[in-house]
Amino acid sequence: MKLRQLFVLFTALVLPAAAFAKNVQVITTTEDLASIAFEIGGAHADVMSIAKGYQDPHFVDAKPSFLLKLKKADLLVVVGLELEVGWLPSLLTNARNSKILPGSAGFLQASDGCNVLQKPTGAIDRSMGDIHPDGNPHYWLDPENGRIIARHMASKLAELDPANAGDYQKNLAAFETKLTAKEKEWSALATFFAGVKVITYHNSFPNFAKAFNLNIINHIEPKPGIPPSPAHVQALEAQIKAEKVPLILVEPYFDDKLSGKIARDTGATMLTFPPSVGGSPAVKTYFDLFDVDLKMIAEALGKGGRQ
Amino acid sequence: MRRRTTFLLVSLLVSPCLFAQDPLAGSGTAPAGYAPEAQVSGAMQASNVLNPNVSAIGWFQAETGHRNPGPGGTDVEGDSFQMKEVEVGLQAIVDPWSRADFFISVGREGVDLEEGYLTWYRLPFDLAVKVGKFKTSFGRFNRMHTPETPFADRPLMQRNYLGSEGLNGPGVSLSWQIPNDFMFMDLTAEAVSSPRDTENPSFSRAGEKDNVYVGRWSAFADVSESWNATIGASAALGHAGEEFDTVNNSTRTLSTHLYGADVTIRWKNIRRSIYHSFSWMTEALWSHRDATAANVVNSHGFFSTMDYQFAQRWHTGVRYDFTQFPDDGTRHESGQLAYVTYSPSEFNQLSLQGRQVQRSDGTLEDLMFFKTTFNIGPHGAHPF
Repeated sequence: MKLRQLFVLFTALVLPAAAFAKNVQVITTTEDLASIAFEIGGAHADVMSIAKGYQDPHFVDAKPSFLLKLKKADLLVVVGLELEVGWLPSLLTNARNSKILPGSAGFLQASDGCNVLQKPTGAIDRSMGDIHPDGNPHYWLDPENGRIIARHMASKLAELDPANAGDYQKNLAAFETKLTAKEKEWSALATFFAGVKVITYHNSFPNFAKAFNLNIINHIEPKPGIPPSPAHVQALEAQIKAEKVPLILVEPYFDDKLSGKIARDTGATMLTFPPSVGGSPAVKTYFDLFDVDLKMIAEALGKGGRQ
Repeated sequence: MRRRTTFLLVSLLVSPCLFAQDPLAGSGTAPAGYAPEAQVSGAMQASNVLNPNVSAIGWFQAETGHRNPGPGGTDVEGDSFQMKEVEVGLQAIVDPWSRADFFISVGREGVDLEEGYLTWYRLPFDLAVKVGKFKTSFGRFNRMHTPETPFADRPLMQRNYLGSEGLNGPGVSLSWQIPNDFMFMDLTAEAVSSPRDTENPSFSRAGEKDNVYVGRWSAFADVSESWNATIGASAALGHAGEEFDTVNNSTRTLSTHLYGADVTIRWKNIRRSIYHSFSWMTEALWSHRDATAANVVNSHGFFSTMDYQFAQRWHTGVRYDFTQFPDDGTRHESGQLAYVTYSPSEFNQLSLQGRQVQRSDGTLEDLMFFKTTFNIGPHGAHPF
């Protein structure tokens, strides 16, 4: 009896420890990357994002509370292309975690190998607004870039946690299979509004537009990061009316009062349009992001067809 | 035994392998693809890629009103237009274990190394070490460069106790992030060369090797997604010159003990983070300064400031100052400042400010300022 009690005690103490061996601690800068990391890491990774999907990823406060998370991270995945330049460098300098610094094994820039658009050519300066010298950083909005990011993550997780490399490959295969199937659905839906003209608040959607054949003709911000002037709004309204632009897409973290007024003045439809996972309650995963966004456009244009 | 402990401590701080926690660090092997031709080419012309980030902040100010420095005051700068300073920043990673930051100010008084320090930020045990010239960690405001604050001046308490440039000097700083899962906490210990009596109102070196020792504990907590708070406690201990004892024909060293407390509360709805924010910061300071060996001057001061961002490009704020003097705890002066600031972009600020100070003799000083700062160079990290 005593031996049996000892066995039960041993099992209770040791087995849970073995079963819950330390997962890879993954920190991502955005919820899009976190969603992909969650799919690839599966049961072997604990994933947390610093920025929320309903938050402007350019402007995140470098709060010391993030250091507590970064300090314990095994892997940091960043969007890069200077999206996080206003807040990540000071966090990394103070995180006291060598594993996740640029150049270390635990640092992954997700943009590597992705199809990045709008890389400036020639001289650039701040008269062009808050531009990104290495290209538009909102590249995750092309599902094919999501595939590339997922492959990077599987490879990096296998490098950091070779014991579970097989599981990461299986998770990647499942992710890619689902993505391929979803891309067919999304492409079919997008054909209903191919070439439709849209206005966006910030220049967040060039990859999305390229992937789904939208025609972004202007932005409410005259230049990246610069608030619209009355003259710009007036010219924009004239353009919307002249070109019969049916849609204005506004990221959830921008003020929708002005966008709503432009929509009312011109007869266009304004959509609060999530550019990221977590950007609205319905967008819980990377797949949801395209499901929801494409459905919103289709419904706004009328039962999946062009108005 | 003591020598052995010292040796271990020095080994811990100096060993690159311990800095690194990185299996590749210090291996000395050339990176893959490194070609002898590249070495020759590099010797002829270095790549710009490795140049430090260079930035410059210009600070222009216009003022109107009558300057009244009050009894014993020396603050008489009162030109209508003032190019207060240009602060040049040079910042770069030095090697796999450290980074360097230089801030050089060019102003009416010439060129001055405001700060220039090396930080080893890859140390084990949650430590970081800084060596060089830097603003000490006494309180929160002391570390801020005036062009980067919302104000056209420094709070009266800061000027009266820590000087117009704050308590700074060449020295060493050791910071330890206290490990815990609940709250960010930091403990910092610093030693800097003691300033001369013309450089700082609270401290005055009694000898060449005199130092000021500074300690600070701070903690940060998220109260909610929108609200957070920082609290801190600081101390600075150093000498306040010497007194000649005519009875014993000897010299006595005088001391200053400063103690500080600060609290900062911030609000920002992160769903609208670029449009609205609020912060409230208060710092208080208590001073115990030997006027003579037998007479200690106890004095204190504080300031409290609130800033509200009411639109994407607009901030408004107020500040209240109350302060005594390091060598006189019987007099005080107080003041209030209000401002409204417009930022055409992240890199330019235009601020209209009004300040009234009631000097210790009851006279008033009323001034209006127009402060503009403009920043060129790479996108710096936003201060928090």
